[in-house]
Amino acid sequence: MEVLLAIKGKDFILTAADRTSARSIVVMKQGEDKSRALNKNILMLYSGEAGDTVQFAEYIQRNIQLYGIKNGVPLSTSAAASFTRKELATSLRSRNPYHVNVIIAGTDPKTALPELYWLDYLAASVKLNFAAHGHASYFTLSTMDRYWREGLSLEEAKSLLNKCIAELKVRYIANLPEFTVKVVDKDGIREIDL
Amino acid sequence: MARRYDSRTTIFSPEGRLYQVEYAMEAISHAGTALGILAKDGIVLAAEKKVTSKLLEQTVQQEKIYQLNDQMCTAVAGITADANTLINYSRIQAQQYLMTYNEPIPVEQLVQRLCDLKQGYTQYGGLRPFGVSFLYAGWDEHYGFQLYHSDPSGNYSGWKATCIGANVSNAQSILKQDYKEEFTVKEAKSLAVKVLHKTMDSTTLGSEKLEFATLHVGSGGKIVYHPYKPEEIEALLKAEGVLNAQTEPVGQ
Amino acid sequence: MEYNGSAIIAMKGKNCVAIAADRRFGVQALTLSTDFKKVFQMNERVFIGLPGLATDVQTLYERFRFKTNMYKLREEREITPSTFARMVSSTLYEKRFGPYFCEPVIAGLEKDGTPYICTMDLLGCITTPADFVVSGTASNQMYGMAESLWEPDLEPEELFETISQSLLNAVDRDAISGWGAVVHVITPERILTRTLKGRMD
Repeated sequence: MEVLLAIKGKDFILTAADRTSARSIVVMKQGEDKSRALNKNILMLYSGEAGDTVQFAEYIQRNIQLYGIKNGVPLSTSAAASFTRKELATSLRSRNPYHVNVIIAGTDPKTALPELYWLDYLAASVKLNFAAHGHASYFTLSTMDRYWREGLSLEEAKSLLNKCIAELKVRYIANLPEFTVKVVDKDGIREIDL
Repeated sequence: MARRYDSRTTIFSPEGRLYQVEYAMEAISHAGTALGILAKDGIVLAAEKKVTSKLLEQTVQQEKIYQLNDQMCTAVAGITADANTLINYSRIQAQQYLMTYNEPIPVEQLVQRLCDLKQGYTQYGGLRPFGVSFLYAGWDEHYGFQLYHSDPSGNYSGWKATCIGANVSNAQSILKQDYKEEFTVKEAKSLAVKVLHKTMDSTTLGSEKLEFATLHVGSGGKIVYHPYKPEEIEALLKAEGVLNAQTEPVGQ
Repeated sequence: MEYNGSAIIAMKGKNCVAIAADRRFGVQALTLSTDFKKVFQMNERVFIGLPGLATDVQTLYERFRFKTNMYKLREEREITPSTFARMVSSTLYEKRFGPYFCEPVIAGLEKDGTPYICTMDLLGCITTPADFVVSGTASNQMYGMAESLWEPDLEPEELFETISQSLLNAVDRDAISGWGAVVHVITPERILTRTLKGRMD
């Protein structure tokens, strides 16, 4: 029932995650932020088993921050994605694996090159131009296939994201009143209104 | 010979010294010289092989200079057996980093990982320190070409040109005098030959006593590790005019 | 094996070998990417194709890269395909009671230039046929295609045509593999790599 979306633009990544915290069929809370900043320019969105998600996300977040402190240079987006994949893959074959799906969105602060990685709980990692996790992918990927192109501006990406969310509101059975929308570009991570 | 504070590595003397560590460093100062010179477009490593007997079988190509991964190599001075385990350790560390991050390990981080291990052996009881110093030549995307030196205590430092092993002070002073910031690999090579020529015990230089390797940018921007074959060393010495020092004048 | 979907084939030719794979990455029926890497070059003369569960494809590649790099540094020579096959086999058998879901295909040229191809099951049991090997979700279809198109002593270009047709026409009858392909033909002189467009639907 959780929704994670991300769209790669010209020099940024636009991400959206629903704000619902649910237990079984009951909505417990609105206003949950399902993302963590791995460092200044990398954001990780997560969904999956309650409990595992935040635990895993913060474990990755702190390890990547530790890397930056220890070595004086921040980790690149691709290295952060590889590190996350390695941790998930090791966990997959352990006694109690994490059940967490993630999207890693990062923009290189020097080159302004945006990169987007999609990882499922099995730790398969793919680099994509747009990504979605969960049931939402069945509703939104076709829309993004149709309208996504190389070098989208922020306004264009926002309008594409609006189309996707509108589709979810019409056709998806789950009630999704709120989304956290964030932009990751060379200047950092910021929350915006759609 | 034995004093009170040198039987174990983990005990400081009243002057605050670790004798075992100092002895390990002493072991290195008897080893064949190894030197490294940083240039704009690459790095040169050169080393002197100490014992050569005509009867000794050459089992490996290089015994003083080793490749660590695609963008790093190292020159060794000290106990070869110790060096072998440390080189194996750093190769594994480099591959482990590559497996985790899908990027080659930054040069300083690999040096650091090896030095952490070396430091451990100066602190934990029942072990002796590794009797080896290393010169690391490497390239990474953060700082380009880099040259590092590490000693048995686990200290490390970055250099433009430096050397380890026998005759260090002599070689250092020549390097200090002749090193120029704008050196190319070619110029660094001739300085390396000059230093070795002036500091080695024997009067004749030859490929059987020397090892040479360069790390430079190859075609397509790829980093190339080039260990010199005996013929290539001979050719280099010939070009520098030091092949037969008794009959020919020294180059430059 | 049927979770992500894949198709990989390798063939022997005259003094050359070829290996080809589809490029789809999906989760069951949902396609997510059409440039997923499943064939990996270990050195100038050895390639490995890893069909199966995508996470294990990536993990295994990383492990083999680790092992072949260490082999190269320690032995001061490149690994040959037959030796590499044993390395892969024992890596898989190490996980006998919790296996990687992947049935690799290896193609390459031996030191003397003899073509070598093989495949193995997910536990590491090696099979080395004289003609061609197939693996992945479209293996039944590929068997049919290769059985009728392959002939002995094909030259590199002919081998390229044969392997491409075998793969492309096989994946058209499999819903979870296809969406383009990549072909490598390995000859003693050079490696020919081509990416192919297939039916993208």
